[in-house]
Amino acid sequence: MRDWGFVKKLRRFNPLILSCVVSLSIVGTLFIYSACSIRENPVLQVLHLRHIEVALAGLAALTFISFLDYRKLLEWHWISYAAGIVMLMLVPLIGESRMGGQRWLFGIQPAELMKLAVILTLAQLFGQRGANHGFKAFLFSGLLVVVPATLILLQPDLGTAMVMASTFIAMLFAANIAPKAVWSCVLAAMLLAGAVLGTVYYAEKAKDLTPEQREQVLKATHLRPHQIRRLQVFLFPDKDLHGSGYNRRQSEIAVGSGGWRGKGYGKGEQYTLGYLPPSVSSNDFIFSVLAEETGFMGTITVLLLFLALLWSGLWVAFKCQDDRGRLICVGVTALVFSHAFINIAMTIGMMPITGLPLPFISYGRTFMVTLMLAFGFVQSVSIHGREPETRF
Amino acid sequence: MESYGQKITVSWWRLALLALIFGVGFFSLASSLHRVQVEEVDRFSHDLRRQSIRRKQEPGARGRIFDRHGVCLAETKPSFCIAINVAELRRPGNWTNTINAVDAEIDRIAKFLDIPRTISHQTVSNHVLRALPMPLLVWRNLSHETVARLAESPVNFAGADIHIQPERVYPYGSLAAHVLGYVRRDRPKPLPGDVVHFYLPEQVGRSGLEAQYNELLTGSSGEKLIQVDSRGYKHDEIQGEKHVAPGHDLQLTLDLKIQRAVERALRGWRGAGVVLDPRNGEVLALASAPSYDLNSFVPILSPSVWKKLSTSPDKPLLNRAVQGRYAPGSTFKPVTAISALMKGYSPDAEYDCTGVFTLAGLHLRCWNTYGHGEISMRKALEQSCNCYFCNLGGIIGYNAIYDQAKKLGLGAATGIDLPNESPGLLPTDEWKQRRLKDKWRTGDTCQLAIGQGMLLTTPLQMAVVTAALANRGTVYRPHLNLADPPVRVRSLDWPTWKIELVRAGMLDVATFGTGRRVQTGGLKIAAKTGTAEVDRGGRRRKNTWVTAFAPYDAPTAAVVMMVEDGESGGLTVAPMVHAVMAAIFGETGSAAETHPDEKQPENEPAPANGTDGEAEARNA
Repeated sequence: MRDWGFVKKLRRFNPLILSCVVSLSIVGTLFIYSACSIRENPVLQVLHLRHIEVALAGLAALTFISFLDYRKLLEWHWISYAAGIVMLMLVPLIGESRMGGQRWLFGIQPAELMKLAVILTLAQLFGQRGANHGFKAFLFSGLLVVVPATLILLQPDLGTAMVMASTFIAMLFAANIAPKAVWSCVLAAMLLAGAVLGTVYYAEKAKDLTPEQREQVLKATHLRPHQIRRLQVFLFPDKDLHGSGYNRRQSEIAVGSGGWRGKGYGKGEQYTLGYLPPSVSSNDFIFSVLAEETGFMGTITVLLLFLALLWSGLWVAFKCQDDRGRLICVGVTALVFSHAFINIAMTIGMMPITGLPLPFISYGRTFMVTLMLAFGFVQSVSIHGREPETRF
Repeated sequence: MESYGQKITVSWWRLALLALIFGVGFFSLASSLHRVQVEEVDRFSHDLRRQSIRRKQEPGARGRIFDRHGVCLAETKPSFCIAINVAELRRPGNWTNTINAVDAEIDRIAKFLDIPRTISHQTVSNHVLRALPMPLLVWRNLSHETVARLAESPVNFAGADIHIQPERVYPYGSLAAHVLGYVRRDRPKPLPGDVVHFYLPEQVGRSGLEAQYNELLTGSSGEKLIQVDSRGYKHDEIQGEKHVAPGHDLQLTLDLKIQRAVERALRGWRGAGVVLDPRNGEVLALASAPSYDLNSFVPILSPSVWKKLSTSPDKPLLNRAVQGRYAPGSTFKPVTAISALMKGYSPDAEYDCTGVFTLAGLHLRCWNTYGHGEISMRKALEQSCNCYFCNLGGIIGYNAIYDQAKKLGLGAATGIDLPNESPGLLPTDEWKQRRLKDKWRTGDTCQLAIGQGMLLTTPLQMAVVTAALANRGTVYRPHLNLADPPVRVRSLDWPTWKIELVRAGMLDVATFGTGRRVQTGGLKIAAKTGTAEVDRGGRRRKNTWVTAFAPYDAPTAAVVMMVEDGESGGLTVAPMVHAVMAAIFGETGSAAETHPDEKQPENEPAPANGTDGEAEARNA
């Protein structure tokens, strides 16, 4: 009765997702080349080739996973989760530090892989037959998320923790887990964020504070000094244009000076002249390079590609007849959305600066592989998520 | 295991809501991007320019100066410099690393080319910290050989660039130095609009015609936009809105041949010479001696040369022709003569010269100790009899002389297109009361009548007077710019017989009188010599003059030459005027004949005055 012919599977492969993934990776390669070709280090000059390599390897993995039934793979979810946790715990012990954070283990960033592991674990937890959708599930899943998030926050990486939180909330909402508890938590988180921002604002604006008192007030937020500085820059953009506000300011100039049609490929001035530091122009601020060279037309195109990808992901979920499949799609699209939104918003000063890569476009090999694997799962849902047509 | 058909918790509306949230999120991003990229593009583009664009002002090439026949007297030519391109030597980290690297490279190049290092560590440091995108000029005005040695060097000098800079060049060196004037490097007039970050120095005229016609000669500045990177190094250079344009050329009334003859005649003396065209006031030559080499002011005048020039007792920087104030002596007598004729004095009235003139305790000796005897005006002019003219002055009175002298332009600047012209001094009663606290006396008038006393004129003023006598009564404003039309300052209504009488007196001077040494084969020349005794610094000194014009009937040249500490006008200056006349009118076989293309005048000795003096003594 069930006929899983290869051709049948191939027919259910979602072409739009694949073309968006490929297009975004090509865009990434082009602008990594733009940003890196001017660098003096010959290894960095060919960074775009590394990007292509990992994108191709990732595409192979994506295709491979597509043809495996995700439900079978989900049975191994706890292994991926456990492996992720172990790696995250190893990072502070034997990990490498680059660019102000200890995030690397043997050349990979466990935090990125952990995002996928958490999505798969939550999908299995919320979606399995007879799953608890009550407060218990909320507490247990919360524990599953808080443990890796805490480890990541220690690295420190506020952005990744934020992304995990928003993905978690999206999946909680989709699976309708303890709605009251979830909304209370979201409300509490928003209040907390508001309180932190309010405190930072107060510390800056209050006139009757001595420097020592100001120090005390800021200390009460329990944020690290560089995080406080980023929040200050976010609240007061013109405060420290040559220090902590420098990247944000230069990124905004890059995006803003792009205009309608941009300056042309390879003609971006902000990174060429080094105002946009080369250390960030190929990863966290790649969107600024793109925006400067292609203008509003280019940025709108990239936004549309992302939206097409996200909506296709949700379309796959809609077509799927299985909670686990739907939850995988929700998790992956929420992850990509929060990454893209925070990254782009940060380049124009709508969000505080966080070190989050732009999916498929920023240079970052672990994240690229993670995304390819994630969309491999989405394709697998697309193929296996509903009953095969019965042949009469 | 398979789970199809189970009850779905993740309902469609939850998916739809997520899709909506994604859509709204991206829409808000798109609208923000629209605001930043489309609505505020000007603001951010302006910010971008402000941080990465530096305006550089480049002055235009200075115009050239030609003589009346088109021979170039001053031009702007490229000169070779070695510049350091700091960007090539940049070192990471503290700026001191880069500064030291530049310093070391300069020493390396200096050692390789075997030329002395000319800039200090401090200059290098200032350049790196303040003018980073500009080339650092280390050596200027290098020879082709030195530059070639660097260009073909087997050793690689990473930071060294051969740089071309415009420099003023005076092909004839010291020729007409006082007329042409010199230039100095200065900041160009700032361009309008935004702030100018850097500028290349401009050559600004500081004296002579370079200063007088500075506006005309100065090119109009252009702007280049230097794109600098975040460290401040030059990344690219773009043409700005304003293009650089060269200045206008200036063609002079000077005639190189005549100018050279005048200067050659004056060599070895302190003095001045002016040649005017009496028909229109064009200055054919204007020279002051001693002179100086204009090229020594380029590219930068060394302090030692400046000190030498500015403290020399010979005052080489002084343009004696327009700034020197001298008693004209006997060359003023034609003015007295015409004043007397205009006053109605009869030229035939004779005066008995006894060799000394006495008036109220004033004893004036005639140069002829034995006296000239009974003498009329024409003869008095020819013989340059002091007693006759003293007496004449007393008879016609101060006002008559003052009137004519004033009309001839004495006591006022001639208005020549040269800066800092001296007006000389035509003394008046009022002036004497104010300065000397004494009233005007008849003795003063007598002194004035023979061009002595308080009267002071510049050689140029006497040239204007001579030109007016030559053209029978028209005072032209002397000018050096050939493009200027002749300006008639005044027409003196001298009855023909009166002016012709004075001119005839001057013809006699050149024919048989004190100025016969001006004679140039076959040319009819009129002249007047003068030897003014002055009391300078407690020593009695003589300023010796000759004023002359030729040809007598229709004069085309009025020549005035003055030499400080000469023997006498007739002995010292007349041979000089002879040489100049020969150069103008081309006396056959004259030594003064020169070719205009000749670059540097050959080094010939000053005229031997001793022998001439002996000859004069024998003749007397």
